[in-house]
Amino acid sequence: MDSFSGTPSSSDPKAALITQVRQESALSNARQLVEKVNEHCFERCVPKPSTSLSSGETSCYSACMEKYMAAWNVVSKSYITKLQREPSMS
Amino acid sequence: MESILGGGGNVPTTAGGVDLTKLSDTDKAELRQFIQAESQKASLQQSIHSLTDLCFRKCITARIANGKLDKYEEPCMTNCVERFLDGTQLIVRQLEQMRR
Repeated sequence: MDSFSGTPSSSDPKAALITQVRQESALSNARQLVEKVNEHCFERCVPKPSTSLSSGETSCYSACMEKYMAAWNVVSKSYITKLQREPSMS
Repeated sequence: MESILGGGGNVPTTAGGVDLTKLSDTDKAELRQFIQAESQKASLQQSIHSLTDLCFRKCITARIANGKLDKYEEPCMTNCVERFLDGTQLIVRQLEQMRR
């Protein structure tokens, strides 16, 4: 997303800036997730890349992706809980 | 990120096509606060990404048969996060001791 050219100049510059920062932050978070999921799942599901993804590889990808996101949520929950319990660590 | 809204000597007058000179002081203060919170959130998310990466590698070692975390994997992820943070704490404490 190229936000530096496409954003229409709003009458409320503050709101425009806030929206833009939020969007960019969400985008970078999503991009990071895609990158990590693919890194792990490619490693696990496609040991020998062939001319296309087989059905086995495709279903492994779906399971792996779901598992990775479940893992992300567990990490997020434990991390935040731990930080709240021991605020000295943040 | 904070420099967008001033503070430094070299203050840009626009950010993402928004003319910052049009902002009132209250708006600027509000934006500064927003950006600070937002960058804190971003760094938290970054930590979660790298911990997920690290702990997934350690805990999810069996063949991936379905999308749910099984009864070994889930506590392993939690322990991995908690022990990693304990490790951080331990290192900081030991470094402090070495300084004395």
